[in-house]
Amino acid sequence: MERYQQADLEAPAILVSALSPALLRFFRSQSATPGQAEDLLQDTWLRIHRVRHTYRPGEPVLPWIYAIARRVRIDGYRRSRRINNHETVMEVLPERHAESEPRHALPVFEALVAALPEAQREVITMLKVGGLSLEEVARATSSTAGAVKQKAHRGYDRLRKLLRGYAEAAEGAQ
Amino acid sequence: MNCQDINQAIVEASPLPPEAEEHLRTCARCRELAEILNVPVPADLPSPTVLREIERGLVAELRPVRPIAPKRYIWASFLAIFVVIAFLGVYHIGAFAIAVKTPLQMSAILAALAIGAGLLAYSLMNQMVPGSRHRFPPGRLPIIIVISLMIAIAVLFPFQHERHFWAKAWACIRIGALMGPIAAVPLWLVLRRGAILSPIMTGAATGLLASLAGTTALEIHCPNLDASHILVSHLGVAVLGAVAGLVVGWAVENRN
Repeated sequence: MERYQQADLEAPAILVSALSPALLRFFRSQSATPGQAEDLLQDTWLRIHRVRHTYRPGEPVLPWIYAIARRVRIDGYRRSRRINNHETVMEVLPERHAESEPRHALPVFEALVAALPEAQREVITMLKVGGLSLEEVARATSSTAGAVKQKAHRGYDRLRKLLRGYAEAAEGAQ
Repeated sequence: MNCQDINQAIVEASPLPPEAEEHLRTCARCRELAEILNVPVPADLPSPTVLREIERGLVAELRPVRPIAPKRYIWASFLAIFVVIAFLGVYHIGAFAIAVKTPLQMSAILAALAIGAGLLAYSLMNQMVPGSRHRFPPGRLPIIIVISLMIAIAVLFPFQHERHFWAKAWACIRIGALMGPIAAVPLWLVLRRGAILSPIMTGAATGLLASLAGTTALEIHCPNLDASHILVSHLGVAVLGAVAGLVVGWAVENRN
């Protein structure tokens, strides 16, 4: 990150290739379609580039990156909601996205966390996908480690209930 | 270990400690949860075209940048703005309250205002840098400060019935409200150097800090000791400032 601030030409490629997969997964687990997730990823890197001077050398990088990514996701969600509110539904248009982006193709983790409330989903994704520590998640979400821990606990309890529900449904089907 | 302990272990450690294994052997739900959360799932990789496009975009506009100033400088800048505006305000309108208030009342209310301003400056300093450690939740801090000041005023000053309450209140609100925008301009000049991720939250905190300078000047200026007057027309100025900052932040956030 410090090399990036000093305009080292190799630094952007190293950062982008190292962090983009986890960021993309973070966006995907927040209910974004593959196309939306890639758009959010591009927006995130643009914003990172604009505010790269706000990174303080020596500070952890991941909370800084994820705080920006989180904000980009919120802005993206609001933007798409505004667009949806202004769009007129035209029944004659075919729903092509449903064909190309099947929801059931999501991996188990994404499918499970998609059922969690937004705050719990965000915390669990950062912990388990981004590999952030409790303290880092607290920094990225402008929260405290205690609050993050509580959200994660509630999230895991809910996931456990969901798993029980899946198991019972599977048993019922047999 | 029980299911709650497994939650704790999953939150705090990866891989799980050996004590968790016994529980995982007997509890199917915990075993499934641990597997889902710990087994690496094949990731969706961004398309190489997208990655190349991002890299090209970043390299094209790459030039060296100077990292943002150390925290203590930013914090000191915010506090200096607060103190200078409050001082200039008092210099302009006069310090008539010093002769009327007891040393305890004066020192306690000024200390409460200074602590509030210090905490807001600390919060703003962290809001300028994404991923900063927040010791106090930044969204709730302005509310906590206003409530604490209300309690301090109610404890320190007596509630008296006074005539022409609203006329006197309006006179103070008018003076105090003028100082908020004056303080907000230099505060914004410092803030724009950072990356404001939540304009609403930052707007409310900035508005409150700016108008607390006005409240401080009024506390040194106004000889009225009625708690209702101080709550409505001195602290009211701070609340108005916070609301104005929040509205400005909301407008900025919705423009983006």
